[in-house]
Amino acid sequence: MNNAKKVTISRRSVLKAGAVATLALAAGITPTIAKADTAQDTPKNPNQIGFIYDQNKCINCKLCAAACKEANNWEEGTEWRRVLVGGKDNKHYLSYSCNHCEKPACAAVCPVLAYKKRDKDGIVIHNREVCVGCKYCMYACPYHVPDFSTATGRINKCHFCYQRQDNGEKPACVSKCPTGALSYGLLSELRKTPGATAQLEGMPDPDITKPSWVIIPKA
Amino acid sequence: MHHWHWLIVIYLFLGGLGAGAYLTSFAAEKGWLGPNSRLSRVGYYIAAPVVAVGTALLVLDLGQGLYKPWLLVRLVLNVGSVMTWGVYILSLFIIVGLIKGYLVLKSKTAPNWLTWAGAVLALATAAYTGLLIAVVKAIPFWNTFIMPFLFVASALSTGLSVTALGAHFLEKQAHGNATEGKVHLWLVIVELIIVIIFFGMMAGGAKGPVGAESASMVMFGKYAIVFWGYFIALGLLLPLVVFGLEYMRAKQSGVQVATEPASTNSGTVAAVESGHESSYLVLVTDLAVLVGGFALRALVIFAALPIWDGKLL
Repeated sequence: MNNAKKVTISRRSVLKAGAVATLALAAGITPTIAKADTAQDTPKNPNQIGFIYDQNKCINCKLCAAACKEANNWEEGTEWRRVLVGGKDNKHYLSYSCNHCEKPACAAVCPVLAYKKRDKDGIVIHNREVCVGCKYCMYACPYHVPDFSTATGRINKCHFCYQRQDNGEKPACVSKCPTGALSYGLLSELRKTPGATAQLEGMPDPDITKPSWVIIPKA
Repeated sequence: MHHWHWLIVIYLFLGGLGAGAYLTSFAAEKGWLGPNSRLSRVGYYIAAPVVAVGTALLVLDLGQGLYKPWLLVRLVLNVGSVMTWGVYILSLFIIVGLIKGYLVLKSKTAPNWLTWAGAVLALATAAYTGLLIAVVKAIPFWNTFIMPFLFVASALSTGLSVTALGAHFLEKQAHGNATEGKVHLWLVIVELIIVIIFFGMMAGGAKGPVGAESASMVMFGKYAIVFWGYFIALGLLLPLVVFGLEYMRAKQSGVQVATEPASTNSGTVAAVESGHESSYLVLVTDLAVLVGGFALRALVIFAALPIWDGKLL
């Protein structure tokens, strides 16, 4: 309903027919949002791992992003992990990075095969040494995860600290989260968390890429 | 959130333009644009060079285009990526187009298969420029099967115009014939219909609220002047009127031929053929078609709103 309301009060001079159809469509979208309140189906790859983020526990300290930056030497102009601030009270947060999707749109469009999805855990790794910087993936990813560095002329993105994980360590962001808001684990288990969702309001339909993330929205 | 800028806009425009130019001369060579068309050569000359220039701009836009150009050989690797398809299509088209253009320039006969291969590749080039963006689900304004049809229609129209302009200056036979005008009239009508369907669908919300927002930004927002002025008025309505009037005039002369069977045939045929004259109005209209085609590529690239604006509600 929220969507429909937003369209009605906007003062944009859209054709009447267009506005009516938009309203109809917004109404049609509502069930999708409701559906997304339940977790997604079992992941195709049983070994797929993912992040889990609890909006209720996050205090917006941004230590996750800082730890990521330090551990991974972000190339100039790129952000591998962001903490968004929103909600009516401006006290809703979302710490997110790559969702290591089941159907990664970045990998599908990349002409040089710079993206690889590992079988052992489903991590989507971008090899910046072979990236040509065409920016096709920046349009393809609905979450704006691939970032382009004008300094180096190539894409950067989160790789779930796969080397650290291969050495038995936690991802840098998770290891520094002081409240336990950000964690990770086997996706099939994470999705059993009560109240878990794969889509917050206004965010992309998870059917596009099947993101391997689990969010517990603020009540 | 624009990641592609003017270089890509020009590249998409030139890709369509070169492809359309080849197909124009191909159609002229096959006699589909009337007998002894003056357009049977110029399009072949300019097709491959125009697409090659566009491709060079694309390479300049790549982050590694000048930095580590050897990485570009990997562009052929992902056979599932439309961009990789484009690399194959454009490379082959440039090669075939150059050979065909050279043979035509030297007045040598090109093998029939080569000419046809070029035509198929030209059509593929024009369609590819639209398909490249049509497959991007995260950009609702792009994500429609109509996009390649829209780009092909615009490619054929701009290709016909650039070839007519070139022929005016390069060919001895300055006058066009009525069939050219008629074909161009139909191309403009088809493109106009596609445009109406596309914007009606987008504004109507068939691709969701973000697609509608893109359409409204183009039609009523910050791109309204480019859309109504350059694309609709100059690129579609002006040619519709000018080619339409030319067509009616030619048709009237045609009626005369039918009603006056006794008259000297050669005289009236000449009158019909001069129907699509290279008058200044027609030349200006051909230029306007190019402006419109360029405006279309710019609008489509710059009105690309992502399905999620990156904000937390």
